[in-house]
Amino acid sequence: MRIGEGEGQKTKIILNVLVCAVALYGISTRDFTQHKTSAFENVMIDFFAPIQKSVTFVQTSFNSVFENYIANVNASKENEKLNMKLSEMNSRLFSYKEMELENVRLKKLLDFGIELPYKKILAQVVARDASSDFRVLRINKGLIDGLKLQSTVVTGEGLVGFVYRLTDHFADVLTILDPNNRVDSLVKRVRAHGIVEGDSDRQCLMKYVKRTEPIILNDEILTSGLGNLYPKGILIGKVSRIERESYGMTQDVTISPSVNFGKLEEVIVLVSDSDEKKDLEWNALDSNSEEKDK
Amino acid sequence: MKTQIKDIIVPLIITLLILIVLEIISTALLPAFGVQKYIIPFNILIVLYLGFKLETPYLSVIILIVQYFHSFFSIEGWELGTIAGVFICIVISYLRDVLHFSSAIITITVTQIFQLVWFFTVSFLFYLKTNSFSLIVEKMWRFIPESIVISLLAPFFFAILDRIWSSGGEGMLGDDA
Repeated sequence: MRIGEGEGQKTKIILNVLVCAVALYGISTRDFTQHKTSAFENVMIDFFAPIQKSVTFVQTSFNSVFENYIANVNASKENEKLNMKLSEMNSRLFSYKEMELENVRLKKLLDFGIELPYKKILAQVVARDASSDFRVLRINKGLIDGLKLQSTVVTGEGLVGFVYRLTDHFADVLTILDPNNRVDSLVKRVRAHGIVEGDSDRQCLMKYVKRTEPIILNDEILTSGLGNLYPKGILIGKVSRIERESYGMTQDVTISPSVNFGKLEEVIVLVSDSDEKKDLEWNALDSNSEEKDK
Repeated sequence: MKTQIKDIIVPLIITLLILIVLEIISTALLPAFGVQKYIIPFNILIVLYLGFKLETPYLSVIILIVQYFHSFFSIEGWELGTIAGVFICIVISYLRDVLHFSSAIITITVTQIFQLVWFFTVSFLFYLKTNSFSLIVEKMWRFIPESIVISLLAPFFFAILDRIWSSGGEGMLGDDA
């Protein structure tokens, strides 16, 4: 196909306008709570993500060899220390098991511990987002492993984020450090509500907390369970800074996440079995309230 | 002006393969070495090269394809970068007579200037979408080191891309067509 010079200019203008219009439409309709992948995107991400995984694996293996064999000059001394620690940990583990059993008994007694219907899926972090504007992790589990869009992602330390984009074998997790991720939360000690938003690579902000709430440093922040996204009671982090002006209705609270995102390697995805039913119920509630508004 | 599609397809495929390799390096390899805060946006480098050196009516579509491949590695999507890229190409088309990449210093400077245009365009669109100015300020602090790295890499990458797109070091692609 060959086109003339004048015709070329015309084509260029038409294509420029067309591409910009499509892109603007794309931006205006982009949803930062979830992104459903097209079949082509699905295939391409599933094709490239294993390569990312392999690169990470090679690098980790190299580090492992370096740390275990080359850089390990004091291995025997460390081994002794670790053996001592291990025996100490074993005795602690025994007492923790006893506490766990006691906890189960007490929960039953208080009729408190109704098991949440969540399936736990362990996943490995294989890559990060290609743009530093977004704090997104790519994990090696997807639709085939039972993951669902907007499933909660946690570690033993606390909340990581939720599944934003999903393919057959991989998923992108929008972490709580991303400004597009908002978590309805509460302060454990005083039960004050607020919204936690990502701020930078190391901290989050808790917004809309009443100025009169007596929050102090190191107060623990938990998910409130509101918003139909995160289960209640997952640790988000601790209060690291409080700005309380003499005016205004709210105070600015800075939170240090309990999860170390810089060293995150494995995560747990909590998948609810009753999502579809829950979604239908939420949609019904939303449509009811919209009708009332009209 | 390069008007034949067959002249574009092969270089475009090679460029996309380079982009994919670079995206894998920046998303998987660099974070594993502890570089997590700053991600080098290689897509910007490629789009700027195309804007500087490629003269074809299909430029906007090529930018869209490059950005679409970038979106497999980022939830940023293809839209913001496509608009910024097309806008920059329009600006470049007016400045084409004064833009020449005769030395590495000029290439670095021009790349840095147009990255600023990219930053302002994307930030403006991002602000319209999120209504948050603090995000833009924070983005700016990341943009400064990232853009400097991109500018420093530009002479080397432009030389490689010149070979792929059969463009002369100083002139514009398609001048001899």
